[in-house]
Amino acid sequence: MEEPLKDHHCPVLDQVMISPGYYLLSLTAPQIARAAVPGQFVLIRCGTRYDPFLRRPLSIHQVKRERGEISLLYQARGTGTRWLAGRGKGDLVSLLGPLGRGFTYSGREKRGLLVGAGVGVAPLLFLAGELAALEWKLVILIGARTKAGILRVESFQRYGFVKTITGDGSTERQGTILSLLEEETKETDWEGIYACGPRAVLKGVQKISRETGVPAQISLEERMACGVGACLGCVCEGTAGEVLRYLRVCREGPVFDAGEVILHD
Amino acid sequence: MIDLSVEIAGIKLKNPVMVASGTFGFGKEYASLFNLSKLGALVTKGLTLHPRPGNPPPRIWETPAGLLNAVGLQNPGVDFFLSEILPAMKSFEVPIIANIAGFTIEEYTQLASRLTVPGITGLEVNISCPNVKAGGMALGAVPELAAEVVEAVVKATSLPVIVKLTPNVTDIVALATAVTQAGAHSLSLINTLLGMAVDVNSRRPALGNITGGLSGPAVRPVAVRAVWQVSQAVDVPIIGMGGICTSNDALEFILAGASAVAVGSAHFRDPLAAVKIIEELEQYCIENGIRDWKQIIGAAWKGQN
Repeated sequence: MEEPLKDHHCPVLDQVMISPGYYLLSLTAPQIARAAVPGQFVLIRCGTRYDPFLRRPLSIHQVKRERGEISLLYQARGTGTRWLAGRGKGDLVSLLGPLGRGFTYSGREKRGLLVGAGVGVAPLLFLAGELAALEWKLVILIGARTKAGILRVESFQRYGFVKTITGDGSTERQGTILSLLEEETKETDWEGIYACGPRAVLKGVQKISRETGVPAQISLEERMACGVGACLGCVCEGTAGEVLRYLRVCREGPVFDAGEVILHD
Repeated sequence: MIDLSVEIAGIKLKNPVMVASGTFGFGKEYASLFNLSKLGALVTKGLTLHPRPGNPPPRIWETPAGLLNAVGLQNPGVDFFLSEILPAMKSFEVPIIANIAGFTIEEYTQLASRLTVPGITGLEVNISCPNVKAGGMALGAVPELAAEVVEAVVKATSLPVIVKLTPNVTDIVALATAVTQAGAHSLSLINTLLGMAVDVNSRRPALGNITGGLSGPAVRPVAVRAVWQVSQAVDVPIIGMGGICTSNDALEFILAGASAVAVGSAHFRDPLAAVKIIEELEQYCIENGIRDWKQIIGAAWKGQN
């Protein structure tokens, strides 16, 4: 049964800075844990007054259904996320969710390629866990500019084979995550690519998906207000046509088929 | 049980708290969050004669205690609304006020007449959208043109006509007087303030449309001032809006002269904002021994005289 959407007041279980500027926040949120699927997000209120005014959309990073817990992985880079980084054990935060359309997948024992650039790994750990439970063979590509942006490698290693790459060569390989993806897609037949990261990376994923014929799903980020599909603030350009030109990232997304959207710089 | 009901231009509201156009879509999304029949009324997203894709993104940009938006009247058009959306809205059991946005006077009258159907309780004439190049604010900022639109709409419909005014004018009283003389039954004050932001990282305008409309608590004093001035100059009821987040905010508008209020951007912070305000207003009446809350409409200026 579908749970009604609710604004949940969730106690913080734990918050750790896992790398400079990057935080892993665990919360007690049993209803969200029960209802969420990989790729969905929550809108989290960051502050008690009017500044910042809007909630922040954060992907659900991990779910422990039996314990009623979820975790969020984010980078503190503005007033909202910096406020959130200041929350500690026992503090209540307000979460609306789970929201949006997540990743789609079916079948067992398939081969999946996960592509996470920087904090874009956030929605992929939840996905990796679900796919691994279906006995998928996963290769997980994680890229960032520097080593500090390579996040959660050990956690991903539980679910598949992890390859990392950095712009400055401070991990095993130097280069871009797209070069890794190009190599991988040459070698094996993949059921699908599941990607999240900056727009430039997702554009590259679209291109590689088009060229290799491997279907890709990409998780988009956009500035959001209502998060439920009412305000039409968070749209991206779709490929479907004139009147339906704009798709709501919060409702039709945040996960789209790579061919469904046109990404601009 | 406190009676919070009020009548606006012949529209009976069970309480004076409505949801503002553009922030609430057509209600469907919020219907899974709370029972919409608790609301005084629901004002729809702006409807145009033809479907509109809206403006290119980014469409929103957060600002201190508020946000800029430049959605650009994305909507499926009046025909789709009537055939596919309105029938399902009946289950909300809430008065539905259709917000209409034309680009010519002819379009406004066509919208008004097509929307004069059972299920629609009133029309809110949007002559104040800052995010479109024609119509909207371009018509609504000039008293003579605004009056022409209103006169034509009133002729085209038997429904109560509420006119939503822009604050982006030198003299909002002149505008309010002109549209009231043209037959407006009620006024909505205010639409968003025209604004702009620059993204210092990209060094470009933050919004796809370059300029946008500012809403949220940041604009509240501007809105309260408009209600204060206009409610003393015209005889029609005023619906006050602009950054209302709490019952105190709502009371500020009511005391300044509003007979009802609308909650908009506050839903982005708290999707239950309107419902909480209704409950708090009941509590306020109980605590202050107010039998008929309508006594306090405009009390801030009536008390002066």
